[in-house]
Amino acid sequence: MSVTLILFFGPIALLLLALGWTLWKPREGKNLQTDPRWLEERGQRHTTYLPQIRQALAPADYNYLSKRTPRGVQRRVRRERVGIALAYLAALRGDFESLLRMARVIALLSPEVAATREFERLRLIAKFVWRYQIIRWKLLAGFAPMVQLDGLSDLVSGLSVRMEAALNELGERAAAAAELASSMNRRGLGAV
Amino acid sequence: MLKEISQSQQILWAVNLAAGALLLVLLGLRKNYRAFPAFSLYVLLNLTLGISVFALYSRWGFFSRSSWPIAWGMQALVLCARALAVTEVCKHLLSRYRGVWALAWRVLLACVAFVLLYSGLAARRGLGFVLPKAERGLELAIAAVIVAVFVFMRYYGVKAKATDSSLAVGFCLYSCFSVLNNTILERFLDNYVALWNFLGMLAFLASLLLWSWTLRKPQGEALPEETLLPLGVYQSLAPQINLRLRSLNDQLCKIWKPEVTRN
Repeated sequence: MSVTLILFFGPIALLLLALGWTLWKPREGKNLQTDPRWLEERGQRHTTYLPQIRQALAPADYNYLSKRTPRGVQRRVRRERVGIALAYLAALRGDFESLLRMARVIALLSPEVAATREFERLRLIAKFVWRYQIIRWKLLAGFAPMVQLDGLSDLVSGLSVRMEAALNELGERAAAAAELASSMNRRGLGAV
Repeated sequence: MLKEISQSQQILWAVNLAAGALLLVLLGLRKNYRAFPAFSLYVLLNLTLGISVFALYSRWGFFSRSSWPIAWGMQALVLCARALAVTEVCKHLLSRYRGVWALAWRVLLACVAFVLLYSGLAARRGLGFVLPKAERGLELAIAAVIVAVFVFMRYYGVKAKATDSSLAVGFCLYSCFSVLNNTILERFLDNYVALWNFLGMLAFLASLLLWSWTLRKPQGEALPEETLLPLGVYQSLAPQINLRLRSLNDQLCKIWKPEVTRN
């Protein structure tokens, strides 16, 4: 097969794959959400059961169990804790995606966007997705020590609280801005 | 008259002309030329090219030295109209969002420049066959631009009108096919010319039918521009959101490399 054939068939195959991916039935709720009040509803899911989850992941519980229970029970506990860690990781990803969605809505509704900010976000997404998958695989394969899981519990609890505050603040500001914009529009229409 | 061209090709040519005329009538009757003026011009020019080239080949023959440059010259004109029509469709898809569109068209231009450079370098061997190579480069750029617009739409969660999407898909698929067809032609020149012509016309017929189906109903006015937020909102919130994303990333990094955290 000649080089030219590969040099042109390759990109076309990639383009067709990309086209198929972009036209793939968009998931519900992925479409543009223009109501700023939606932003205010974000960020409250993961904090609701936080005390229980923290307790489940506390190292004291595990130490207590390791002294008083047989190995089978310890293994089961370890397995369950990994499950909880995975759920937390998914929650972290959910938080990340919520922020991304918000950033996209704001960028879409903005009269000007900065290329540097948008590309920085793209870079952050790539990094996050890569690290998320690595950690997930490590957890699933049992390579992640419990110390890391404890760290994860502290991390997610801290982040959830901070994120909630941040999301509320951002949501309120976006709603206020949208309110201002719509009132300006109403005034504009009245003048016409 | 057109002895060099097989009968099946001549029939397909006539069918293509009829489909082009039908599309043009649809654009006129449904007043869709108002929403898609550049696209209508492209269809008109393409139909004119089809008729002119048919007349040209009838007079001088398909393989004559005089008819090829004229046919390719006209093809270049149609290709420019095609690029304009693609720009128009891309604008329909994204320009409601002023900020993102301003970013997108710069990225698309960079994409076009990159693809043209790539095509030039990939086809650098030999100066012969320049026009099909140039056409292939442009078609590849058109396909890349359309895919890039769809990627933008997917990334920002923009939902487009089905008509705009179908027109863009028609352009993209035809461009992809053209690139493949021209690449095979370059490799197997002598044996492939007849099939190249036939397949090219068949692919274009498919695009014409898709566009005709899409434009069978009158299209309303383009969607109005979205109500935008004041500029300050993006300027103040985007850095904050990126900061939060970065901190989430840093935290994830700490889980990934715990030894760094412990030191």
